[in-house]
Amino acid sequence: MIADIWTWIWAFVGGAILAFIAILIIAYLTWIERKFAGRAQSRIGPYWVGRPHGWLQPIADVIKIMLKEDIVPEDADKISFNLAPMFVFVPAMMLFAPIPISEGLVLSDLTLGLLYFLAVSSLSAIGIFMAGWGSNSKYAMLSGMRTVAQMISYEVPLVLTLIVPALSYGSFKLSEIVELQKGGWFLTKPFIGQTTFLLFLLAGLAELKKPPFDVPEAESELVAGFSVEYSGMKFAFFYAAEYAHLLAVSALGAVLFLGGWDGPFIPGFLWFFLKTFFLLFLILWIRWSFIRVRIDQIIGFGWKFLFPLSILNLAIAGLIVL
Amino acid sequence: MREEEIVLSMGPQHPSTHGVLRLILRVAGEEVLSVEPEIGYLHRGFEKLGEASSYIGYTPIVDRQDYLTSASNEFAFCLAAERIAGIEVPKRAQYLRVIAAELNRIASHLVWLGTWCLDLGGALGGGTTIYMYCFRERERILDLLEEWTGARLLYGILQPGGIRYDLPRGFHEKAKESLELVLSRIDEYHDFLSGNPVFVERTRGVGVASAELCKALGLSGPIIRGAGIPFDVRKAMPYSSYEDFDFTIPTGKDGDCYDRYVVRMEEMRQAIRITMQALEGLPEGPINPRPHYRSPVAFRPPKGEAISCVESPRGMICAYIVSDGTERPYRVRWRTPSFAAVQAMRYIAPGHKVADMVSILGSLDPVLGDVDR
Amino acid sequence: MGIWAEERGAKMGIDDRRYSGLFADIADFIEGWPGGSLITTTADKLFSWARKSSLWPLTFGLACCAIEMMATFASRFDLDRFGVILRASPRQSDVMIIAGTVTEKMALPIVRLYEQMAEPKWVISMGSCANTGGVFRDLYPVVPGVDKIIPVDIYVPGCPPTPEALMEGILALQRKVMEGR
Repeated sequence: MIADIWTWIWAFVGGAILAFIAILIIAYLTWIERKFAGRAQSRIGPYWVGRPHGWLQPIADVIKIMLKEDIVPEDADKISFNLAPMFVFVPAMMLFAPIPISEGLVLSDLTLGLLYFLAVSSLSAIGIFMAGWGSNSKYAMLSGMRTVAQMISYEVPLVLTLIVPALSYGSFKLSEIVELQKGGWFLTKPFIGQTTFLLFLLAGLAELKKPPFDVPEAESELVAGFSVEYSGMKFAFFYAAEYAHLLAVSALGAVLFLGGWDGPFIPGFLWFFLKTFFLLFLILWIRWSFIRVRIDQIIGFGWKFLFPLSILNLAIAGLIVL
Repeated sequence: MREEEIVLSMGPQHPSTHGVLRLILRVAGEEVLSVEPEIGYLHRGFEKLGEASSYIGYTPIVDRQDYLTSASNEFAFCLAAERIAGIEVPKRAQYLRVIAAELNRIASHLVWLGTWCLDLGGALGGGTTIYMYCFRERERILDLLEEWTGARLLYGILQPGGIRYDLPRGFHEKAKESLELVLSRIDEYHDFLSGNPVFVERTRGVGVASAELCKALGLSGPIIRGAGIPFDVRKAMPYSSYEDFDFTIPTGKDGDCYDRYVVRMEEMRQAIRITMQALEGLPEGPINPRPHYRSPVAFRPPKGEAISCVESPRGMICAYIVSDGTERPYRVRWRTPSFAAVQAMRYIAPGHKVADMVSILGSLDPVLGDVDR
Repeated sequence: MGIWAEERGAKMGIDDRRYSGLFADIADFIEGWPGGSLITTTADKLFSWARKSSLWPLTFGLACCAIEMMATFASRFDLDRFGVILRASPRQSDVMIIAGTVTEKMALPIVRLYEQMAEPKWVISMGSCANTGGVFRDLYPVVPGVDKIIPVDIYVPGCPPTPEALMEGILALQRKVMEGR
């Protein structure tokens, strides 16, 4: 039982501020993505909504979505249908808690920060399945099942991969991992750094349901997947949860592999943001360049290729530590 | 363990079917057991409209049938009408018709490539990128055609007896520039796609249309050429001085999606080659034997019937016209390639995964205006 | 079960009130205060601005106009500039662009899709065939204009309309939304 009132205040106020900042960044992440996609496709992205360069576009999107009519299909399972967005969005927001933004600036410096992160990020699979089931639509159901299959298949390589930095630095506490990277980032470690990073990228992309592994949102196959029956604010929650997850995983990657807030000259949190955004751009770049992989190929790839490789990686890392 | 069968209906509103096609799939788990295409959602009554319109008035309307290649539809109709009337089309008009048809072929294949990759890759991923690039290239070809005919998509450039407008000044240079650019970009996209293991995995061995199946169903165009049979109406039954041009017919080996893709990419290159040859060797002369054909009631072929076949980007389009001596046809019958292609879905698709449905449908390239007429 | 507008009644599901449900009660309450109308009208303007800046069309191409619609979303005539993204599910889109000829067989799916869209929603009828039936007006399988089955807000003429024309149609819809319905 936490007796100190300040801890409670810190938890709530800090949490609220962090959530607010995260949502702001997520909203503008959509803008960044559309601009980036536009330039990659030899066109400009949003431009007219708030000249110049459409920086009011995310605000317009959010307001419009809030004003949309909220449709619940008649035969839908009310509880599943209405709760599913929460089950997807809340875990995605909870992911930001253990991530250290700067020296000593972390909402909740859990001793098992990394494990907390992995555990919470797999909760959203439940939400997606609830959405698919509750929508009372064949397509949503099928898509929900595929999504859950994909996410579960890639949990294992992701966990095995992310244990390697914890193994190398001997701690699950994220701020400690950052402190120990002061000498040299994990990415620069001779062999283990690069392979782990690569595996993390692949497993992470599949977890995030981003192209090339974006079958859950396969628009051209089963029409917008598990969120097909959702409209208005509930749909916005799914959309936002996707970007929140993306941001959280990029932040985690920056913390584990690129040294968090470590860096000369400019203050720590700026370095953190720079590194997070670097990873973000990398993921976006991959997203707009690759064709989707088929679902059975994705799952095959996960189990037959990524899983053994991550075990091998872990074994080698273990040997090096010894 | 036998999984439960469910019936899925893809379409008619669907981001990826090229138009309003409904596919009724019976699916067990992820594997498709049977496919039944349902068509008729775009049946507009072209053949009935043919009975009510004059020859000259009908020719621009028939653009809307296979709306990606308006020149091919008009070509078939005009050739048949000329055959009944016994008119000789002047050489210059023949070359211009070839230019229009080949430019149309390039534009149509670019749309095919863009939308197919959009289906494969997802509207929010890499597929969109290629779709944007293909449409950007297509805009350059459309610029050329817009300068010539005044329209971007539905031209109305042919008429029975010849062609309606002559080339504008400076067309040759502009065409050369644009086509060279498009050629280099096609090579780029080919490298990009065929070197991409994800793409190859998704298209190799998928949607195999064997040579026997093609012959049995009457498939033509890139589908039968992908299966290895070098049948091209331009070489088999040459029309409109195609025999003057030097081009090759690409063929594939297995008849899977990848082969059809390679065939179409090569066809684009050959089309550019033909266009350049036609532009360089363009003879002088009239574009229409008698100017007063511009009036709708002036074209009155004698009683008779004729059939003519033309190679469109989708396959063989045939127009069969029965004339009763007036300025309106008595009966117009169209034999269109996309109809057979959609039928082929029933035979090719079972056994594949649901995700392959769009891949196969895209590689067969049906246009619903062609299917439903 | 009729699809023809005359059978379903003139309204065809259009809600005339500016707000509905809880919003309406709150709006009435606020307008009861002195100066309350200032708040509601400013809020109105904000909401209309948001709606017009983020119109999400439903991909619904039927025939030739669909190709021109696709070209409008492509690189040269980019519509993402105006905040327009194509969505595949009717529940998440605001605008339905009917591009192409409406046949009697297709009429029922169109009406179903229109009813599935979430309020507020608009319809753009693109091309002569959707406006009045086009060249196929008097033929047996063709519905002479999509406004016989659903209410249309903007008509874009052309056969097919050039991408510039479609863009002008979307901008006209934006102006209409800005005025409020």
